[in-house]
Amino acid sequence: MNSPPDLIVDRLSVAYRDQWVLQEISLTVPSGRVMAVIGPSGCGKSTFLRTVNRLVDRMPGVHLKGQIHVGSVEAIGDDVDLVGLRRMVGMVFQQPNPFPFSVFDNVAYGPRLEGVKNSSRLRAVVEHSLKQASLWDEVRGKLRRPASSLSGGQQQRLCIARALAVSPQVLLMDEPTAALDPSSTAKIEELILALKGEYTIILVTHNLQQAARVSDLIAFFRDGRLIEVGSTRDVFTAPKREETEEFLTGRYE
Amino acid sequence: MNVHQHNLRMERIQHRIFWLSAALLIGLGLAIWGTLAVGAAQFVLHHGLNRTLLGVDYNPTRGQFGLLPFFMGSVSVTMLALALAYPLSLSVAAVTVLMGKRAWLAPVRQGMGALVAIPSVIFGWWGLSAVVPLIRQVSGSSGFSLLAAGLVLALMILPTLSLLTINAFARVPERWIDGSLALGATPDQTLGRLVLRSVKAPLIEAGIVAVGRALGETMAVQMVIGGQTLLPHGLLSPAATLTTELLSDISLLPPGVEGHHVLDFMALSLLLIMYGLVLLVERIRGRAEV
Repeated sequence: MNSPPDLIVDRLSVAYRDQWVLQEISLTVPSGRVMAVIGPSGCGKSTFLRTVNRLVDRMPGVHLKGQIHVGSVEAIGDDVDLVGLRRMVGMVFQQPNPFPFSVFDNVAYGPRLEGVKNSSRLRAVVEHSLKQASLWDEVRGKLRRPASSLSGGQQQRLCIARALAVSPQVLLMDEPTAALDPSSTAKIEELILALKGEYTIILVTHNLQQAARVSDLIAFFRDGRLIEVGSTRDVFTAPKREETEEFLTGRYE
Repeated sequence: MNVHQHNLRMERIQHRIFWLSAALLIGLGLAIWGTLAVGAAQFVLHHGLNRTLLGVDYNPTRGQFGLLPFFMGSVSVTMLALALAYPLSLSVAAVTVLMGKRAWLAPVRQGMGALVAIPSVIFGWWGLSAVVPLIRQVSGSSGFSLLAAGLVLALMILPTLSLLTINAFARVPERWIDGSLALGATPDQTLGRLVLRSVKAPLIEAGIVAVGRALGETMAVQMVIGGQTLLPHGLLSPAATLTTELLSDISLLPPGVEGHHVLDFMALSLLLIMYGLVLLVERIRGRAEV
């Protein structure tokens, strides 16, 4: 199994029209690690995530500076192959967003885009992805049911399976448990720990305990700037910057 | 008489008025259906269905009632209008809703709303002064034709159709589109595999509503189609539709005149087709809600 790529962010700045929402972000997520991005609401965490797979392009008037290296692939630039980039960098959203199709068709959506038509191959990919997302045991034999019939937590794991089905190497997770109950949250966290190593993962979260439980690295953002980045243990036990400590102890926000 | 009794009495009177108005409306509707059905039945009993529905010669004063040219006219004009307007309305919806031009949404909606408000006679007038001469110039025919009627109708149903397709597209949540793009789908693939697929029912419904609008339109079509009762042999032939022929013949065949019942039959056919469309829409809507 090939190891997933390092993700190197080099002086990344993002502006909407003439307002900078991210400024001069530089950080590295080493291959197969989980980085949790934390910070107060509106600090640019989600924008950062959406810049890595260039979904940020959908915002009118967006302007990017700097570079993101996903392994040997550059993510910023006018001639970037967005389709290729997005297949390499999967994303899971805050609200589970299954398509209004069956469980099977949701997971098969990505492979079908790549032109996979062979039904036994599709079935194999769907089964493998659902197993990876630890949803298989709950949906086997029910793959033709509409995805909307699943519970919220199952829908989120379905979305993870859908993202895994195109064999990405990097996973972006934008507060994936924000809309879920505690037991569903626990399952997703277990899943992140299981996927660690095989995928380089960036997890945006509001939940500091979650960041402590699943991440190797922490990046703390405030007002569009990266204040501090370091190993999870270091940042939580001995933050170098006063702003980080204020945030972690709840004095800021 | 105390206040309470007075109120009770007023209430009873109100109830009676409501009941009567409802009954009157239902009665009127039934009367229309009934009158037409009786007339149409007499017509069918007298002339049979073969020579009428499939007949091509129409000359009511001489007892020839071939209605096929009008059915053909109605169907071809409607199909032509739909074939022209439907792809356009889908494009309008795709551009305004999907291609990051959400800022255009409100102005486009308003513009389309303004177009919906134009009376059909104005569309007919535009057809008469612009479309017919253009076709005449290009083709060398008279210009009054199925094609002219189809073009005028297409423009006429475009606003309604666009509003319906825009509303259908706008039902697709942004997060689905995000999800599709994030999987590496191109915008085209997102449109075809996600958006069109997830709003199939409202899109079909929009098409049926447009068919109803086109099929029932009389004035705008009458002004440009040429009023020819022969079976059309091409898009450039002048022709007539069920509605335009009804309009033309009402003065020729007033009630009581021999042959008047052919109008009852045509009107009932139209009514049945329209009612069928309404049922179809309700069925699709019902299924989509399950």
